[in-house]
Amino acid sequence: MGIKVTFVQADGVEKTIENIAPGESMMEIGRFNGVEGILGDCGGSCACATCHVYVDAAWEARAGKPDDVETSTLDMAPDVLPNSRLCCQIRLRDELDGLRVTVAPSF
Amino acid sequence: MEQAQAASPSAGKCPFTGQGAASLEGASLKDVMAHPNAFYQTLRSEAPVYFDAKLNMWLVSRYDDIVTVLRDPQTYSDKHGYAAMYANGYFEEFKQILERDGGGFFADAIKDDPPGHTRVRRLLENAFTAHRVATLEPGITRIIVELIEKLVEKGASGQVVDGVKDFAIPLTIRVICEQLGLAEFNADKIQAWSGAVTAQISKMQDREQMLGNAAQICDLQNFIIGEMKARQDQPREDMISDIVHAKLDDGSVLEFGEAVSLIRALIIAGNDTTATAIGNLMFVLATRPEVAKALQDSVDDDRLLNRFVEELLRIEPPVRGLAKMTTREVELGGVKLPAHAHLLVLYASGNDDETQFACPRNFDINRANIGKHVAFGVGVHRCVGASLSRMEIKVAAREISRRIADIKLAIPAEQIAYLPTVATRQIERLPITIKRR
Ligand code: HEM
Ligand code: FES
Repeated sequence: MGIKVTFVQADGVEKTIENIAPGESMMEIGRFNGVEGILGDCGGSCACATCHVYVDAAWEARAGKPDDVETSTLDMAPDVLPNSRLCCQIRLRDELDGLRVTVAPSF
Repeated sequence: MEQAQAASPSAGKCPFTGQGAASLEGASLKDVMAHPNAFYQTLRSEAPVYFDAKLNMWLVSRYDDIVTVLRDPQTYSDKHGYAAMYANGYFEEFKQILERDGGGFFADAIKDDPPGHTRVRRLLENAFTAHRVATLEPGITRIIVELIEKLVEKGASGQVVDGVKDFAIPLTIRVICEQLGLAEFNADKIQAWSGAVTAQISKMQDREQMLGNAAQICDLQNFIIGEMKARQDQPREDMISDIVHAKLDDGSVLEFGEAVSLIRALIIAGNDTTATAIGNLMFVLATRPEVAKALQDSVDDDRLLNRFVEELLRIEPPVRGLAKMTTREVELGGVKLPAHAHLLVLYASGNDDETQFACPRNFDINRANIGKHVAFGVGVHRCVGASLSRMEIKVAAREISRRIADIKLAIPAEQIAYLPTVATRQIERLPITIKRR
């Protein structure tokens, strides 16, 4: 039941979290579950880039592209790739059940 | 990434460095307030956690130590650090005055430690998300263009204008007042109130000044309480109404005093720091041609302009240092600190740390780690107004560049006066001459 997501930490450790209700953001899930490197300083206001992840290829289309505001904030972060997202901007929904992301190196 | 920078051609020969021959023998930040970079550099290399006897505080100067402190709010308490600054030794008297004449003494609800902090923080975060601020761009542009046009008109007739008093301060006051819903504001009053509140964390206030400032803060609080009452029964579409009627995530409501303190915090934090940044912008445009050129080259590209703003905040951070206090014995930067050690976290020194930012005195919008600066802090207390202030600075930079030419200081740079405070490094008056572009 619920949504399941996986974070791959920079140290290679995988953290899978299950039973997530739709509507929560990927950052909140990561921060609440102590995923290393998901700091979420700005609380999801899209202002700090401390929730930077790379979306696995299989999920890129469903997770979507960053909008203009997110792109601007992402530009402040190091090591931005085409599949970079600020995961506070990814709201979980049933369609994202199984989502897999890798945590980007922090600042 | 940093390696790439270290290998850049400018490595090892930075034209602008903070380096200088500052010795630490009894040295105090108090003595170098206007031009502190050489002092910061000596601190970082010789005594990264240094007891400043004149301030009676520990100065934390290295980037890594600053981040360690800010990422551990239980060990390094914001609440106690702030409280120990307040009123600079005249706290009891100050408090009595506020209780008698100012509706009460209201501790800052946002300057708390988790979990109390977490409870109110969300409310402020939601108010100024980057997405919400993006929708404010047209309104902010209108305010800024109007102010610049006035400034240019005055300047074009050959008169000296003041980049801080005639532009930066009225600009940020108008923006935050519009957000809060204060249509009938009096900018001079708000500026005086801001000065009185920020003086509380300046470490420079004597008793006579405390009395004057306490009177101002009473006036401010009575004003806020009046505005709150007007919205109690009839909420409006503004932030004061939102705060008065807020329901928090945990289902609780804000106490009256908490609400007053949050509105007070927004009025003050929302204008002084951003005005300082815009004053700094004018100053660097007047004194560093390569920065003026960088702006000119960025002005039509939003991405470059955003990077310009970040680099401005890194190289001239408005907030110099804020206080924290240890809640237990702890080792920091090789120094064993006792419990209740009062720390001044030097964001400005962190931004100048050459181990993080190659040639830190160079203005370089292409830094790979452009967002790494700590001008807004990091961790749970990271500035909630970051998006709003970035937008104000960005639009100001763009419109200045498009409408003003030949910004020149009207007095020698050495005569520029800074406000006497450890908390910010803030130009008091910036007399300049300008031309219409
Ligand atoms: C360039 C402009 C600004 C700078 C440099 C700045 C800087 C900072 C810094 C360094 C902190 C403290 C972080 C810490 O405790 O370590 C902070 C906190 C804060 N700022 Fe700003 N600020 C700016 C603009 C604003 C604006 C426009 C607002 C209001 C809309 C604002 C509201 C706040 C509030 C409420 C806090 C307290 C947050 C907390 O403790 O959780 N600031 N700011
Ligand atoms: S939590 Fe700050 S940008 Fe995502």
